[in-house]
Amino acid sequence: MKSARLAVATFAGNCAGWASQVAGRGRGETIRGRVLLAVDPSALSKLAANRDIVLVSGTNGKTTTTANLAKILADGTDESVSTSEFGANMTAGIASVLMQQPAHRLVVLECDELYLPAMYDALKPKVIVLLNLSRDQLHRTGEVRKIANLWQNTFTGDDVTLVIDRDDPFLEFAANQAGHVLRVSFGGRRHPDAATCPQCANLLDWTTGDYACNCGLGSTLAQVRADHRLNGPARNTVLAIEAARLMGAIVPVELASDLTAQAPDRIAKYDVSGVSVPTRLAKNPESWRGALAGITASNVILSVNARGIDGLDTSWLWDVDYSPLKGKTVICTGQRRLDAAYRLSVQGIAVEVAQDFAHAVEIAGSDVEAIASYTAFQDLAAAQLGIKGATGGRS
Amino acid sequence: MSLTIVRLYHDLLGTYGDQGNAEVLVHRAQARGIDVELVEVTPHEPVPTSGDIYLLGGGEDGPQTVALEMLRTDGGLTAAVNSGASVFAVCAGFQLIGTRLPNSQGRTIDGLGLVDVETIYTDEPRCVGELVIRYSQTITQPIMTGFENHQGRSVLGAGVTPLGHVLSGIGNGRDGVDCVRPEGVHVAKVFGTYMHGPALVRNPALADAVLEGACGPLAEYVDEFAEALAAERRTTLWP
Repeated sequence: MKSARLAVATFAGNCAGWASQVAGRGRGETIRGRVLLAVDPSALSKLAANRDIVLVSGTNGKTTTTANLAKILADGTDESVSTSEFGANMTAGIASVLMQQPAHRLVVLECDELYLPAMYDALKPKVIVLLNLSRDQLHRTGEVRKIANLWQNTFTGDDVTLVIDRDDPFLEFAANQAGHVLRVSFGGRRHPDAATCPQCANLLDWTTGDYACNCGLGSTLAQVRADHRLNGPARNTVLAIEAARLMGAIVPVELASDLTAQAPDRIAKYDVSGVSVPTRLAKNPESWRGALAGITASNVILSVNARGIDGLDTSWLWDVDYSPLKGKTVICTGQRRLDAAYRLSVQGIAVEVAQDFAHAVEIAGSDVEAIASYTAFQDLAAAQLGIKGATGGRS
Repeated sequence: MSLTIVRLYHDLLGTYGDQGNAEVLVHRAQARGIDVELVEVTPHEPVPTSGDIYLLGGGEDGPQTVALEMLRTDGGLTAAVNSGASVFAVCAGFQLIGTRLPNSQGRTIDGLGLVDVETIYTDEPRCVGELVIRYSQTITQPIMTGFENHQGRSVLGAGVTPLGHVLSGIGNGRDGVDCVRPEGVHVAKVFGTYMHGPALVRNPALADAVLEGACGPLAEYVDEFAEALAAERRTTLWP
């Protein structure tokens, strides 16, 4: 039975969310969650009680995989599923999802890497999907190894099943004290940030294309083996299917294969000055590599910001190979357009600079695609929705 | 004229786009008609002693310790510096060319001792943010910028000159024996700094200073994007 305090908190949160929407200040989910938690600080665990929750975390693909997993789970169980929207993945955003349809048993939530320990404690999830770990927002999260250590210290019980890509040595390390782990392997692939072992700090042996270490990291067999040619979105889909199955969804082999072949990517079509611009979200070296590989247009806009959730340090721009852009018309925009433009020019790629996105689209003309860092992507989304500022957490 | 630039252990010391420093040195040297060879040394490969400029980047604590032990065992870098080679070392790389530093377990270990700088462990807050310094040498535009992200604080020994003096940010985080609010180190041809960005990308004058240390005075060269980026960072951070 719901407590009186939770009922009051829910009412207050909904009022605040509605007021925020009416005022055109955003979609209202973060403020709704904040007010709820201000009135009832224990609302999270109360709202999570007696529900079957899946958390999705990792550096890249959280938002897309969360939506994909929620759909696979709903289709495979014939039940309604509550899920995160718009990438709101910290405490307030998660609270907001939980309060909206408290009768839904199944819940799939995106969770920020640093918030995962607290959400694991408060929500008691049945399954946690760990997608990948690579360098991201170095100024905020610190080193990749710190998150891997944080997770390893968190997952020491047997009350949850972790679903991981074991080809990522940071995830294998993060899960090695956990009671239940479903390991998926895609045949091994070199991790750009894992020259040394997350467990013992010695050099990892990558000579076979997979990692090996004298300390034994990675020697546990994977229960699921998938095609080594799959790209990031497809790998995340395979993990989502395994998580959905653990939660009781029926996903026949043929359907799983179709779902993997049609893996969703984070591309939005933004209408700017009458031109439709397919835009990919990219926010760290690994996601930029993925986004660049997908570009087919002859005119490309790169929009780079370094505000809060983008990461304040843009050094990583130099860790990306931009050769897929050679021969194309490239326009850099965003707050840190000069950092991007100089990097491309040193790689021998002709580049122009535009004051803002609309100006960049004007220069590009038609047949244009864009890659945008997180806040640049949010700004475009907010402009399409006609709201003043975007909300949501890190993606 | 020819120049050999040696980039050491990118896999271990390349966490913060440090390969940008190598690319910019190559780019700016080639623009002056210098024939440049960039040599990449991976872990367990011997470090050549015939290089002109050696580059060390930033890295996490564990890989920093692994890189230090390999460099100590190999001996090539120390031999090259003793024969007059230049070094440009950033963050973890800066710390490991000093006399002492904390290892990944927090225990104090000996560095390579190429410069008299000791890095100490502290539980003070991590130094994270934009860093603005005034370069120690007299040049037209001495204001330089970078992004620092480090836990250790570095103490310069007696008579050791810093790369610059901090205007905004933390830098070495400790006064030197005879300097106040220092950032990095610059002794003869050895440069150390906490500036990422990468540092030579955001500060073309510093890139030229490193090149001139190795090959003497350079011809005039203006790279429009490099100057625009340096000016944008400078005016935004130090208006």
